[in-house]
Amino acid sequence: MSDFETETGSELSTATPGAFFANGTPPSQEVTKVRSATADAWHELRRNGVFWVGLVIALVALVMAVWPSLFTPADPNFCLGSRQMQGPSGAAIFGYDFQGCDVWAHAVYGTRNSLLIGTGAALLSGVLAMLVGMVAGFFGGWVDAIISRIIEVALAVPLILAAIVLMKNLPNNDQNLRLFALIGILGVFGWTTAARVVRSSVISAKQQDYVSAARMLGAGNGRIMWRHIMPNVLAPFLVIITIALGSFIAAEATLSFLGVGLQSPSISWGLDISSARVHMREDATPLIVPSVFLALTVLAFIMLGDAIREAFDPKMR
Amino acid sequence: MQVRRLAAWTAIPLSAALALSACGGGGDSGSSSSGTVRIGIAEPQYLTPADTNETSGSQVLAALYAPLVNYDADNKPVEVQAESITSSDNKVWTIKIKSGWTFHNGEAVTSDSYIDAWNAAAYKGASQNAYFFSQIAGYNEVAPAATDATPSPSPTAQKLSGLKKVDDTTFTVTLSAPFSDFKTMLGYTAFYPLPKAAFESDGTVKSTFKDAPIGDGPFKMDGTWQHDQKISVTKYDDYKGTQPKVTAVQFTIYQQPSAEYADLLAGNNDVMLTIPTENLSTAEGDLGDRYLHSPASSFQFLAFPTYDKNFSNVNVRKAISMAIDRQAIVDQVFKGSQKAAYSFVSPVVGGYRDNTCGANCEFNATQAKQLYTENNGPSKIEISYNADGGHKDWVDATCNQLKNNLGVECVGIPTAKFADLLNKVEKKQEVGMFRMGWIMDYPSMENYLGPLYSTNGSSNYYGYSNAEFDKLVQEGREASTSDAAIQKWQQAEDLLAKDMPVLPLRFGQNNYGISTKVKNVDIDLFNRVDLLKIEYTG
Repeated sequence: MSDFETETGSELSTATPGAFFANGTPPSQEVTKVRSATADAWHELRRNGVFWVGLVIALVALVMAVWPSLFTPADPNFCLGSRQMQGPSGAAIFGYDFQGCDVWAHAVYGTRNSLLIGTGAALLSGVLAMLVGMVAGFFGGWVDAIISRIIEVALAVPLILAAIVLMKNLPNNDQNLRLFALIGILGVFGWTTAARVVRSSVISAKQQDYVSAARMLGAGNGRIMWRHIMPNVLAPFLVIITIALGSFIAAEATLSFLGVGLQSPSISWGLDISSARVHMREDATPLIVPSVFLALTVLAFIMLGDAIREAFDPKMR
Repeated sequence: MQVRRLAAWTAIPLSAALALSACGGGGDSGSSSSGTVRIGIAEPQYLTPADTNETSGSQVLAALYAPLVNYDADNKPVEVQAESITSSDNKVWTIKIKSGWTFHNGEAVTSDSYIDAWNAAAYKGASQNAYFFSQIAGYNEVAPAATDATPSPSPTAQKLSGLKKVDDTTFTVTLSAPFSDFKTMLGYTAFYPLPKAAFESDGTVKSTFKDAPIGDGPFKMDGTWQHDQKISVTKYDDYKGTQPKVTAVQFTIYQQPSAEYADLLAGNNDVMLTIPTENLSTAEGDLGDRYLHSPASSFQFLAFPTYDKNFSNVNVRKAISMAIDRQAIVDQVFKGSQKAAYSFVSPVVGGYRDNTCGANCEFNATQAKQLYTENNGPSKIEISYNADGGHKDWVDATCNQLKNNLGVECVGIPTAKFADLLNKVEKKQEVGMFRMGWIMDYPSMENYLGPLYSTNGSSNYYGYSNAEFDKLVQEGREASTSDAAIQKWQQAEDLLAKDMPVLPLRFGQNNYGISTKVKNVDIDLFNRVDLLKIEYTG
């Protein structure tokens, strides 16, 4: 978040006139207290409880992914059959699963793969969406026509189906390959919605007066895209990518649950849920713990995305 | 708007499916006349003796046909439709059948009924069970083996030269090589007789026959096979053998074991032959003393690709075997519903000895680790298994034991297509360890040895080859008495314990459930209900 603020805040201040017109406030009446759109948004965000809840959960998940050993002393790969389905105890707060593995430790260590795949796929799809959407929106005409048709074709392919078909053909015993393949497949098939958002934002920003002004002053295409249009696109872009991050995490868990995503010995919430499902009638804890982890993480990113959208959208205030 | 329309589209098939399943699930529990027992099965593949090799089909055929021999409590063959089966040299067998028996259409059961059925089954080797006739002289002329040059060779004979009719109730079978357990083999589904009405004029079985088979057994078809729903049979009053105690049997066909289990609990089904693994831990509480067990013939083991340099050292194989606590897995994963195996031959066949594997199968973590490190065992072990068979839990549990006891990395690898794995093994590629299971075809010790470990055995996937072993198995087949045969086979089993090409893990058990309306339910080694014993109490 802080990155976003320092970098784009200054860019946006150059574009304040445009932003003011968008708000319908004449520039002459308010000269003393000028706040940039980003600062405005931050002002809103700070008062939003949903934002803070989402942020805290996301940060905890992040720390958990980087240092899982902070949260549990247990080794998730140490499973003893004799501890099968034992209830909560001092050593394992949520007890042990069917194979005698620590339920809590498994869920904690599963965070890394989920976040890695979620952020990896979000970054990849974000870069793709930004490039393609920017080019389509900025140049318009036949470039836009072709790119828009490609996006529509890609939209017609369901993400999960494409992932199942492609992942099925990968070797079962190379876990690194499966991880990168998941990032790649989710990224490559999940960029279309974001690209459409970028494209439409670019089209509306392109028609602003300051863009015409920059052009008349002799700015090249690259400079206009980077300095003048990009800052206006960033807000909706961030919103859609944050929400997409959550859905990529859910998609990874779904694929692993179906047996085509990550596979043991990788630790993944989807895998844990799938193996606990069969023994649900004996003890539901091994099923509930990873499910709650998954639900909370996905929820956190959706909440963050929603809060950011509200902050940037004047109509929502 | 788009979303709402989509929801409507998905809702229609869903509600249709609900309505359909409501029809199927309701059953006709109200109309069950006194003495009708309902037995749950899966949809059979075929209902012809020559093609039936799965349990659901064999269960139905066991009601419709009388076998030449059945098996007593010690799994020794006893004559049913046969009067006597004798041989002086184990090569030429004389089979006398009881006279006066009739098929359900009134036709007499004669030697021709057997000879014609067996000839049809062996022809071109096309039927599922043709393998069982390959030991009879003349098989190579009736079903020449395919080669690369001639992928579908045409047979040079219509009929097996080894089958000769003596009179209406006597015929002889000449084998291509002596086989002391041939009589035992005759109890298999493939050897049932067929009436003249079953055949086309060219000697093949009519394609319509399987929908309403005509047999010579204690029950006859009531109507035809209602695919995916049920098969009904009623008592055949002219049956000359032991009469059953129930008047009719309805085989209800289930697609989902979970649905069948629910029906059993609700009293809509009387016998469930196999309780699903995931219900094992709750079955005791659900069914109480109606949850029953009986021995089964299945044998589960882990196989080594012995050609792989990681596992070519016999001491590495022994160390892995000693690092597995078999009893713990049986208790934890199978809740005691299977038996830990310390031998290579199932306890259900004559010649079984407990613990032939000896120290090699005894759980000893410290010694296993020592032996493993001394012999530089691989630091990573993979165990492949077929993803559809419910093997994940025990493979993972085995892997955890190897991890903890040997300090290696161990991964269970589910394989969607097990056939692909076996193809890889045939090409001697690196595959790691893999699981295998064996269900006997007929109760003979040889069935657990020859096909699995002979150099050219049909299911020897581990590249195991021991000339001494091959010789002993063959000597057993040619032995004059079954005791002499068993002696040879036991020596062969001892060689396996020394070489450890596979690790025995578990012997199977039938875990079945019954309703309150039936009693005396016995399940045999082939997972079939004994229909002559079962009683209806209402």
